[in-house]
Formats: sequence, C-alpha cells, structure tokens
Amino acid sequence: MSLDAIGSVGGSHAPGEAGYLSIEALSKHHGAARSVDSLSLSIEKGELVALLGPSGCGKTTTLRMIAGLTPATSGRILVAGNEVTAVPTHKRDMGLVFQSYALFPHLTIAQNVAFGLEMRRLPRVEIRTRVAAALEMVHLSGREDRKPSQLSGGQQQRVALARALVIKPSILLLDEPLSNLDAKLRDEMRNEIRDIQTRLGITAVFVTHDQVEALAMCDKVAVMEAGRLSQVGTPEDVYERPANPFVASFVGRINRVAVEGRGNNAVAFQDQLFRTEHSVIGPATMMVRPHRVAIGTDDGARSGTANSLRGHVVRVTYVGDLLQYDVDIGGTSFMVEAATRGIAAAFRVRDAVRLEWQPADTLVFGAAP
Amino acid sequence: MNAVPGAGASRRAVLALLFPIMLVNLIGFIVPMLNLGLLSFKEALTGGGIGEKFTLANWVTLVTDDFNRELLLNSVGVSLAITVAALVLSYPIALYIQRAEGLWRSILIVLVISPLLTSAVVRTYGWVVILSDQGGLPSLLNAIGLTAPRMIFNTTGVIVGLTEILMPYMIVSLLAGFGRLDPRLEEAAATLGASPIQSFWRVVFPLTLPGVALGCLLVFVLSVSSFITPKLLGGGRVFLLATEIYDQAIVTLNWPLAATLSILVLVLFGLVLVVYGRAVAALD
Repeated sequence: MSLDAIGSVGGSHAPGEAGYLSIEALSKHHGAARSVDSLSLSIEKGELVALLGPSGCGKTTTLRMIAGLTPATSGRILVAGNEVTAVPTHKRDMGLVFQSYALFPHLTIAQNVAFGLEMRRLPRVEIRTRVAAALEMVHLSGREDRKPSQLSGGQQQRVALARALVIKPSILLLDEPLSNLDAKLRDEMRNEIRDIQTRLGITAVFVTHDQVEALAMCDKVAVMEAGRLSQVGTPEDVYERPANPFVASFVGRINRVAVEGRGNNAVAFQDQLFRTEHSVIGPATMMVRPHRVAIGTDDGARSGTANSLRGHVVRVTYVGDLLQYDVDIGGTSFMVEAATRGIAAAFRVRDAVRLEWQPADTLVFGAAP
Repeated sequence: MNAVPGAGASRRAVLALLFPIMLVNLIGFIVPMLNLGLLSFKEALTGGGIGEKFTLANWVTLVTDDFNRELLLNSVGVSLAITVAALVLSYPIALYIQRAEGLWRSILIVLVISPLLTSAVVRTYGWVVILSDQGGLPSLLNAIGLTAPRMIFNTTGVIVGLTEILMPYMIVSLLAGFGRLDPRLEEAAATLGASPIQSFWRVVFPLTLPGVALGCLLVFVLSVSSFITPKLLGGGRVFLLATEIYDQAIVTLNWPLAATLSILVLVLFGLVLVVYGRAVAALD
C-alpha cells in the first residue's frame, strides 16, 4: 500500500487570493488581559508555518482558535475563502496533533486512527485501507492491535500524526508535537513530519517555542510576543533580518549593546564608530550574532572594512563542536563562538583578543534619521 | 522501605506488624462468621430456643418456601433498581464536579459528602415527611391537579429514599474512577469530527466505566444490606433480605433462619464481587 491511499488533502483553492488559511485581526481577551491581540496571518496552500514564541505569548491560544477549541473574542478565520470562525470544531475538518498526543487509551492503535473515519461514516473496507496506509506512512504497520500505553513516546507521536492525517484534513495543526520527545528522536521526527507534510502537500501550522525547530522545518516563521505578531518571514528573514531586538534575540544567541546612532550607516560605542547597513539617530541597540564574530590575537592586523573591538577573555566554554568565549569589552560582556579546530587555536582566560565582524552582520535597531 | 517480603527477618517483621489486625479480624470477624454458618444448620425451637441437632431444614426452606425465594428476588430487584437510579442521577453530577476547578470543585465535593454527616435515620424521616400521603410531594402533585400515586410504605418509597441516601457513595466512586478522563481527549475527538454526543459515547463514557463499576458495586452491596431505610419507608410491607433477617432475629427469635439468610446475603455479595472482578478485568 502506498501514500496514494492517503491522497492529496484539502479542497480546491484558486491561487492569487488571500492565503488558503487566512486569519484576520484575531483576538482573545480574558477580561483586560489580551492573550492574543489583533493577529493577522495569511498562509498559502501547502505551506508549513511555525508560530514561534516564548511560553505565554499566545501561540497555543491562536492554534486553539484556529481549531475552534477556544472561541475567539473578535476577528475572523477563513479557510479557502470560507469563514469558519463560528463553525464548531467537529465540523471544521482540521487535524490537530496535541503535545500530550491525546490518544484514546481505551482504543487500539488501529481504532485510534480509524476514529475520525468512523465519525465520517465511511465504508468499513475504505476505513481499513486508509488506516493501514496511514500506519504504514508512519512506520507502525504491525502495531495495529496494541494499546497506546504499550508504545513508546515517539511511536505514540506517530499514531497521533497518522490519526490527524488519515481524515485528509484541510489544515494540519501541530501543538508543540516534539517537546515530549528526547533530543535524538526529536530530530528524527522533525524530518519525518516535514517529509510527510511536503509529500501530502498539506497546509500546516506548527506551534513551537524552539527556534531551531521553527527554522529547520518551516517555510515561514511567525514570531509572536505578548499576543502580537512580531515578524512573519522565511527562516532567513527572521534570522538575518529580524524586525526588532525581540525577534533577533529569540531566534538565536546574540550580543546586544547600547549604542548611539550617528546616521550615515554608523553607530558609536565607547568612542568608537561601527559600520552597519542601517542608519539610525540617537540611542539605539547594536546586535551581533556570536558565530559571525572572528576572534584573533590583539596584535593581529586589522582588516579594512570590518568592525573591530578589543577585549580580554573572561570565560571559555568548550561544547564539543564549538568554543564559546565570553569577552570583556570595557565592562560589557560579548559572546563569541568559534568552531573548534584542534585545541591549539583556543584562547585562554585573560588573553587579550581582537574581535572582528562585518558591517552586514551588524544589526542596529533605533529611530530612523 | 527495605522490607522485601520473603527476605527472612523482614518477613518475620511484616508478620509481626500484621499480627494485631489479623488477631482482631480472627476474633471479630472470622470466628463469628463460622459461628453464624454453624447456627444456620441448627434447629429452631419455638420460643427462640436453639436445638442441639444439626439439620438442613433452614437451607431447604430457602428453596422450597415461596416467601424466601421472593425475598431474594425482591432484594436483588430493588437493589438493582436503586443502583441504576443512583447511577443515572449521579453520573452528570460527577462529570460536572470532575470538570469544575479550584475552590468551586472543593465546595461541590463537600456538598456531595455532607449528607453522610447526617444519620440515615434522620434522612429517612426526611423522606417520610416528603413522601407520606399528607406530605410535601403528594400535596404538591394534588395541588396541580394530578393524582399522586402512593409513594410511601411501598417499594417506590424504599427505592426513592435509598437512592438519595446512597448517591454520595456513587458520586465519590465515580469521581475516583474518572482518573483517565483528560479534557484533551474530548478535544481530540472533536477535531476528528465527533459531535459532543458521539464524543461522550465513544470516548468519555468508556473511560469512566471503571468508576461506574466501582460505584455500582458499592451501591448494590449497600442497598442489599441496608435495613433502616427499607424498614421505615417500607412500613412493614416491603420484604427484603435485610429487614427479614432483622425480623427473624429480633421479632420472631428464629436465629437459625436469620443466620441462614445472613449467609445467603454473604454468598450474594461474593457473586457480585466475582462479576465486578470480571468486569474490571474486561475493561483493562
């Protein structure tokens, strides 16, 4: 049996309209508190989009509103141009994979996967065929008659995925599906979920607080902070061109120093000018990713266009593939990461060093001139 | 907690610790039960005496005497009716409490348990006030133009009273058995296309069956053995095993027959336990 038994998913949708899944000014208020505040997001058919943010930013609430499990205070949700905001969950035709898997403990694996098909009153033969195909897709053939409690966490996760996909939902929703798995399994499931999603061409929303997961798996990343969207873009966009310091610091480790904008692509820090590709005036924030900074001996020749700082090493952390240096630059700590190439190249604590990085890697946030 | 059963000295320690309660059970339960069993094979003499001769007469009457057969059927029937009524009435309450949160949940649980703080006698007299011919409920029904059926000193009264009195046990048992009920499961069912009714019958109800089994066992056993409420609400016109044992032992002074009926109740409970064990095993 092959994937064809699962088939393509979702209804027809003409290109060129607003996204296949369209969220318009969606809000969820609890009294004065706003867990989701006027969130608008458009997702194209077949895209995998991450809702990324720290816990309590409203990403799970947003997902629950899309699924209809939490009523929206205001705003609209449209799927293929049809408003579903008031449609009850069981008529929304969305597959949801829960963080806790939420498998029915009293049913076998096959019965779990068949549940959605039985609700749709499909013929018995078709149910059997599609359940078998779905279990084969997640490599669980032969486990049909086990109970969920007899499977490992990773296997339960696969059953949850098969159960959500077998109904050919218009949209697949994933609520932190990998956070209960151990690190190695997580990488494996990450690729597997992405593969299946791409093969089926299903539109999917993936809620996570793990920026690596979001960047590695998704076509687009929507970064949320305190109920609002901070930035929506490709993984490269949010990593290389973050919209604000929050996004910059959330999608990876980054240095952050307060600087003075001088306009003309320059900022001042400790009476020294730094080149950047942004022009700002007045108090501003300069951010540089640790692995974009080169570390060298203090007497080393300075390359022409690079920004440069002198300091001394206060801490060296060896993490196998990386050496992480904390460098003191006149009272401020600066993180630098270097790939390990044998132990000889490593600097030691109290070594005087020169840090260099390119203007293109110098992110600056502040008031425009 | 190093005591591993079967490990020499610690095994002896375990037995030593268990000895007091074993002794209490032996003197307070096993010996009287054996005594009761013995008594059921003794001859009953007129005037409350107990003969020396052994006889099977008491046991034979259980089968041959229509009245005794009816006692058993009546007891089982009434108790089943009470069990079903208590289950149907308690289930929604238990489900609601299960879903309540925080202080409200605590208040509800206290409210459910609080009737147990009042003696069953007092609560039964409460039902007498409500159900008797000039009482609250019949008067109310008559006032709105209905003819009130007789609700006291008959089986109806016994069932109504015992159902209410045993409901706290049912609710607490149901709550204890609702452990596997995770609200996520209902949400999962909904996303898979199950309406709330389908979700209840396919997901919620099967997961609550352990609680249902426990509650039914407890209420059935308690209603077979309860005696004050049937005595008062039955008005001497409802004949059940428990009331008959009382009458034989205290009024007629036929102790051997009372002992026989008591052993019969014990056998009945044994059978119910077997059924419960099978049911629980089947649920796993």
